[in-house]
Amino acid sequence: MSTFTTRIALPRRTFLRGLGATLALPLLDAMVPALAAEAKTAAKPVRRLGYLFMPMGADMTRWTPTGGDKLEELPFILESLAPVKDHVSIVSNLEIRNAYPGTHATSNASFLSCARAKHTESTDYFLGTTVDQMAAQQLGRETQLPSLELAMDMMQTVGQCDNGYACVYQNNLSWSSPTTPLPAEAHPRIVFEMLFGEGGSKAQRQAALRKRASLLDFVKDDISRLQRELGAADRERVGHYLESVRDVERRIQRAEQGLAENPLPDLDRPTGVPASYAEHARLMFELQLLAMQGDITRVFTFQLARETSNRTYPESGVSDPHHPLSHHGNDPEKIARMAKINRFHVSLFAEFLQKLRATPEAGGTLLDNSLFLYGSGMGNPNVHDHVNLPIIVAGGAAGGMKGGRHIRYKEPTPLANLHLTLLDKAGVRLEKFQDSTAQVDGLFAPLGI
Amino acid sequence: MKSLAHFSIALLAASALGQESLRPLVEQHCIDCHDSDTAKGKLNLAALLAEDVTKHPAVWENVVRRMATRQMPPASRKERPTEAEYAATVAALAGRLDAEAAAHPQPGRTETLRRLNRAEYQNAMRDLLAVEVDATALLPPDEASHGFDNMSVGTLPPTLLDRYISAAQKISRLAVGAAQRVPGGETIRIKPDITQQERAEGLPFGTRGGAAIPFTFPQDGEYEVQLRLTRDRNDVVEGLHGPHDVLVLLDRAQMKTFTVRPPGGKGHDLVDAHLKFRLPVKAGRRELGVTFLKDSASLLDDKRQPYEARFNFHRHPRPAPALYQVSITGPFDATGPGDAASRRRIFIAQPQSPADEVACAKKILAPLLRRAWRRPVTDADVARVLPLFEEGRKEGGFDAGIESALSAVLVSREFLFRVEAQPAEAKPGAVYRVSDVALASRLSFFLWSSIPDDELLALAERGELSQPTVLEAQARRLLADPRAQQSLVANFAGQWLHLRNLDGITPDGRLFPDFDDNLRQSMRRETELLFDEILRENRSVLALLKSDHTFLNERLAKHYGIPHIYGERFRRVALGPETQRGGLLRHASVLMATSYATRTAPTIRGKWILENLIGTPPQPPAPDVPSLDEGVVSEKLPVRQRLAAHRDQAACATCHEFIDPPGFALEHFDAVGRWRSLEAGVPVDASGGLPDGSRFTGADALETGLLQRPEIFATTLAEKLLAYALGRAIEPHDAPAVRHIVRRSQAQDFRFSEFVTALVTSVPFTMRQSL
Repeated sequence: MSTFTTRIALPRRTFLRGLGATLALPLLDAMVPALAAEAKTAAKPVRRLGYLFMPMGADMTRWTPTGGDKLEELPFILESLAPVKDHVSIVSNLEIRNAYPGTHATSNASFLSCARAKHTESTDYFLGTTVDQMAAQQLGRETQLPSLELAMDMMQTVGQCDNGYACVYQNNLSWSSPTTPLPAEAHPRIVFEMLFGEGGSKAQRQAALRKRASLLDFVKDDISRLQRELGAADRERVGHYLESVRDVERRIQRAEQGLAENPLPDLDRPTGVPASYAEHARLMFELQLLAMQGDITRVFTFQLARETSNRTYPESGVSDPHHPLSHHGNDPEKIARMAKINRFHVSLFAEFLQKLRATPEAGGTLLDNSLFLYGSGMGNPNVHDHVNLPIIVAGGAAGGMKGGRHIRYKEPTPLANLHLTLLDKAGVRLEKFQDSTAQVDGLFAPLGI
Repeated sequence: MKSLAHFSIALLAASALGQESLRPLVEQHCIDCHDSDTAKGKLNLAALLAEDVTKHPAVWENVVRRMATRQMPPASRKERPTEAEYAATVAALAGRLDAEAAAHPQPGRTETLRRLNRAEYQNAMRDLLAVEVDATALLPPDEASHGFDNMSVGTLPPTLLDRYISAAQKISRLAVGAAQRVPGGETIRIKPDITQQERAEGLPFGTRGGAAIPFTFPQDGEYEVQLRLTRDRNDVVEGLHGPHDVLVLLDRAQMKTFTVRPPGGKGHDLVDAHLKFRLPVKAGRRELGVTFLKDSASLLDDKRQPYEARFNFHRHPRPAPALYQVSITGPFDATGPGDAASRRRIFIAQPQSPADEVACAKKILAPLLRRAWRRPVTDADVARVLPLFEEGRKEGGFDAGIESALSAVLVSREFLFRVEAQPAEAKPGAVYRVSDVALASRLSFFLWSSIPDDELLALAERGELSQPTVLEAQARRLLADPRAQQSLVANFAGQWLHLRNLDGITPDGRLFPDFDDNLRQSMRRETELLFDEILRENRSVLALLKSDHTFLNERLAKHYGIPHIYGERFRRVALGPETQRGGLLRHASVLMATSYATRTAPTIRGKWILENLIGTPPQPPAPDVPSLDEGVVSEKLPVRQRLAAHRDQAACATCHEFIDPPGFALEHFDAVGRWRSLEAGVPVDASGGLPDGSRFTGADALETGLLQRPEIFATTLAEKLLAYALGRAIEPHDAPAVRHIVRRSQAQDFRFSEFVTALVTSVPFTMRQSL
């Protein structure tokens, strides 16, 4: 089967056209001024960061590579990574202390925040700013969208979120502040429109942006009035609304700039949502690739499915829904089936990495200038633990990423250490992130300053 | 009636005695565990008895709840209060708390700024502009809190604002019927697990499968429609063993007929390539039907197959072709905006000359603004959107001007948000009546999930709505409108009863091979129709728990083993006891929504009952409860024994003793809600109980147990309804209002409309507290 989404909403020609046009254009540094500036510095930070969340842990016996520090034989779940083995490393024995007591809500919420979720079902939820958003403050300053939050679940459930935890914890990977979960989008057409508007020619896209800008001016004036009408208690909230207005304003300005600078050709919008999970996921990856090509955003989060998802993955050869299977009760047959689902999720990521490696941009390929963290906030889903998490780091040469390694901690080590390390590579220097104790050694070559 | 009598005793007790009347009972039955030494559940009643009850309403409301449901003192105690003592104590306590609430009303505080959720946004478009949109394709999903998605609606992150802007532009363009820059397109997928062997809803008799697709055509013009048939993994069209006729209908009139044939040796690539055509369509909401002619060949084939579900390539393949997707692209050669309902709604005036345009725009915009902003509007208000009209007009003429102004209306704060600002002069903590205009919105968003209509708004503008008789009359009027049935069924019942979750549940294909989406939707429909009947006919809500009839179509009747029900249409069916069907607890929808994919889950069913029927949700597990390694319990054991192993652990037992028994009583119903007398060859053990300590076997006894004190269920429903109506969590200070609602409804046989009228005239619905 073709890895491109040929029969679905985003027609193949759109993608090929996009790719073709980029390939055809000379890769002049002038087109990517930001990169050109960075390239002159000695320690070149990575250009973009991506975080992929896989729900409900994995079968760690079929995940963890055997052998030494070098990644040799890939275990069952990771086999599909073979073609890009040199670009991936496995980090074993990471944990999230703040995710306890073990729940699905905290598995999702703590994955990128490493923070303890306030135990509440109300609107007074409180978590922590997630690493992608910290990265977005740095990497996102230049781009139309500071970050892009994607997911795969179109519907929300009721009463099925973990007991005592507001659904926001289970649904949102990305939080721009401890009280601001960022909604993720699963509809390909809507993602497309966030990135490219309604598509069309350059002139049409420009005209559409002008209309948006004038509508936004109206909103700004309208909400500012509210500021004057309300009491002090509610004014703070209105202040947040105004920040959002400014943010969208900036997006429109960046998009206008981007239109002038970026070589993306005419684009067609995808229409519906593909019925099969795999087709849908591939389309979502395709859109991320397009966003990278157009330099529309540099920070990505993608939730491959929600915790407690009862989705089935017939493409994996397993007909059982994921969540019940993850409570396998140590039944070897069930574990084997769950491992097939884990393997299937990883294979989609592997496909994506291959496509990124095949897409050139200034200074190498898309993969070269990117770093990805793929994993779960849970280790063994049968008991809801948050130790020995399944974690992959992938990326290219830009940050000095040394692929093909297996870093195995003897003692449980905070996932926050890895977050700290990746942020550092993206140029976000922090002393400490949540419960971090150090950076992860051995993942990157020492910077040649 | 009994508890009504108790209530009057309560009033007497409250006024005469105060909490001193509590002391003997508390000392005799409660203090052993709830004194300063033991303080079980961190509750020390000994200390509290020294103070007035009204000083600690949260604690005492909890005592009321635990005693009213007979959960405390626990059944394990040797000596418990008599029924009379229970009733008198509950009544005395509640009476004291109610009297305090009457003297010092505490309405709580709905948030000042609440944006419309997706359902409300979609309905508002329908009522404001006569345009049908699918908000799920325009806006991000809403977050649920306390079981409802109209509570966490205070924030406006950039992405959401961005989407509101896009949605406003799209909808205004659609509503005005503006020319599209490029032909638009939509691809509609049919769910892969729908069996297409029988007639689908909205399609003619004599057809099978396919779908009736509602679609808003933006302009008069030609539209291209392309059909694709379902293929298996090998790219072979499923079920194509002979010729089949494909029919295309527009608003039920037949437009096209095609024949598809097996390719005869060649690949299937081109088998459905000719199912592509252009169709002239008038602008507006139309229904495009695509279906197959039902022929005897596919019927014959059916007879040999044991299953109703026919979509699975390996297990039970489709015997005849099925529709996979429909793509609609257009308009091509558009001839204009046509005469869509939305244009008739918007363009109530047409300019006679260019000089007339601004005046005409004002005429159009003023009533639009009034409905959108749910308040009287002034010239100054209209002036705020006029610059956008001018801007649009300059570029594209009068219609474009209206479109541009309309898009501004749709992103304005007063449309997107329900703003309930407090009066400028209100002192902190002061309690005040919400304005009539705000009340109109509270009422319409509660009952319609939408904006007020003209009559409601006019009453509010005249300041008459807050009169209790007017308010109740309006509540009854809104309730009688089909919009109330639609929104309360979909948004209230759909969330309260977890029906919304059904789409996310797929039972294990090997254990339940005869499951398909047709069955899933039929399950949901049964429960919706029972709830709908209670609304429409203003029946007692207790009919949800016990009913001598239900609503079935052939698919669901077969699932239940009830004979002689034919066809896709749902109808009311009287039930004998042998059918084992009736109230909610016997609905496959509820039973499946509370099961795992492979087996029943008594714990989940128990939790569902405690939360949604009894109103005492189990506490979240304490942080120090160890995770149970399921590996210690063999998978091969029946569920009951596995759970028994859980309860052997002291840390788990306290809660599971309380949660599991109601679920166990439903063990006769399997994970997809079928009746069973054996589980894995062993007779089903449906012995269960209720948190009041009663022990019994089976669903009958569970229903009887729940109906023994109907005010418990009524209290839960009233709380859920109040939380949904206010868009906020229920607090202890709401309990007196909830009791008020329950008392009024009880006096009217628990009829649904009494819940609503009592609710909308209650303190929390009509008042608010300032900060």
